[in-house]
Amino acid sequence: MDLKVIDHATCTFCGCVCDDIQLHADDTRIHKAKGACVLGKAWFLNHTTERHYPAALIDGKEATVEEAIQVAADLLYEADMPLVYGMSNTTCEAQRECVAMADLLGGLLDSHTSL
Amino acid sequence: MVLVDIRETKSVKAADVFLQVRPGKDFELITILRAMIKDQPISDAQVAETGVSIEALQDLVARMKAAKFGAMFFGMGLSMTRGKHMNSAALLTLAAEMNAFTKFVAMPMRGHGNVTGADVIMRWQTGYPFGISFNRGYPRYNPGEFSTVDVLVRGDTDCVFVIGADPGATMPQPAIDHLARVPTIVLDPHVTHTSRLAKVHITTAPAGISAPGTAYRMDEIPMPLRPALESSYPTDEEVTRRIKEAIQTKPDWMVEGPQRLETQV
Ligand code: SF4
Repeated sequence: MDLKVIDHATCTFCGCVCDDIQLHADDTRIHKAKGACVLGKAWFLNHTTERHYPAALIDGKEATVEEAIQVAADLLYEADMPLVYGMSNTTCEAQRECVAMADLLGGLLDSHTSL
Repeated sequence: MVLVDIRETKSVKAADVFLQVRPGKDFELITILRAMIKDQPISDAQVAETGVSIEALQDLVARMKAAKFGAMFFGMGLSMTRGKHMNSAALLTLAAEMNAFTKFVAMPMRGHGNVTGADVIMRWQTGYPFGISFNRGYPRYNPGEFSTVDVLVRGDTDCVFVIGADPGATMPQPAIDHLARVPTIVLDPHVTHTSRLAKVHITTAPAGISAPGTAYRMDEIPMPLRPALESSYPTDEEVTRRIKEAIQTKPDWMVEGPQRLETQV
C-alpha cells in the first residue's frame, strides 16, 4: 500500500474553497485532512475509490457511458429550449465545456448564483 | 466583527457587536448608513423603521471609518429577501463609498463548491455571470427571465442538463415537478434526488477528490485541485465534452450559421 501526503490540497465542499489542506491518503481512501473544518473533513474522508454507483442510468436502468452520452446528446439537440444548469460542484474546465454546449444548443445557461 | 441579522444566530457568539435589523429593512438600513458616512441628514422615523438604534449606527459608522481595511460579507438573507438584488447593489455601493475614507470591500458568501468559478467562467466566455440565454445565437442576460427557478416554475424549458448540483433536493416543488416532467440529464458523482427523476444519469469522478482541474476560491483566486485518489469514473469535463461533440455532429439548429464562441485554451 502506497501512503502519500498531499500539501496545499484544495477543498471544494463549500464555497470558501480552502487551499491549505494537508491530505494523507493511500490507494483507496483519504485518512486525514489536516486544516479542514468539520464539513471538509467529512467530505474528504467519506470518499473512497470503490464503485458505489453504476457507470450510467437511462430511465433508471444501467447503461454504458457511451449509450448515455448519445441519448443525452439526442435529447438536448431535439429540445426547443434546453437548459444547462448547476456547475457548482465541478471544475472550471467542465464549466467551460458547459458554456460551449449551451451556446451550441442555443439554450439557457445558469448556475446556483441565481438562487 | 459586527453581525447584522434579523435574529440571534449561532454566529452571535463570535461577534463583537450584534445588530438586529427588522426583517425586510436591509435596504433602508444600508441606505441610512450611506447617508451617515457622508454626514447627510436622516430622520428619527427613518432610523426607527430599521429596528436599530441611532447610537448603535453611529458606533458602527465610527468603527467602519476607523478600520484600516474593512470587509463586508453578505449572504442570501440579503439577496433573497424583499429588495433582492437591489439590497446587494446598495451594499456594494456602500462598500464603494467607504473607499473615500478607508479601504473597504464587499464579498458574497458562497454556498456550493466552485460556484465562484461558474461566475468567472461565464463572465469570461459570455460577458455575463449567470441567467443567460443563447436562443438568439448570442448571449443575453436577464435574471428573473432566464434564471433557473423562474424558467422551471413557468415551464419554459423542455430538456435540462444538470451538472454539479441537486435541484431535485433544494428547489421549490413546482420547479421539481417540471424537472420530472421534461427529460433531465444528470452528471454527478452520486445518484442524487435529481438523478432519480432524470431520464439519464452519468456517474462522474468527484472534483478535488479524484478529478483534477481548477476551482475558484471565494475571493476569486483560481486554485489547482490536487486529487488524492484515482477514480474509475470519467470526469465531468470529459463527459460534457463528449456530449458536446456528439451534438456537433448534427446539423446546426440556426439556418444562417451563426458565429460561435469556441472554448479557448
Ligand atoms: S475546509 Fe471547510 S470551510 Fe474550507 S472549503 Fe472545505 S468545507 Fe469549506
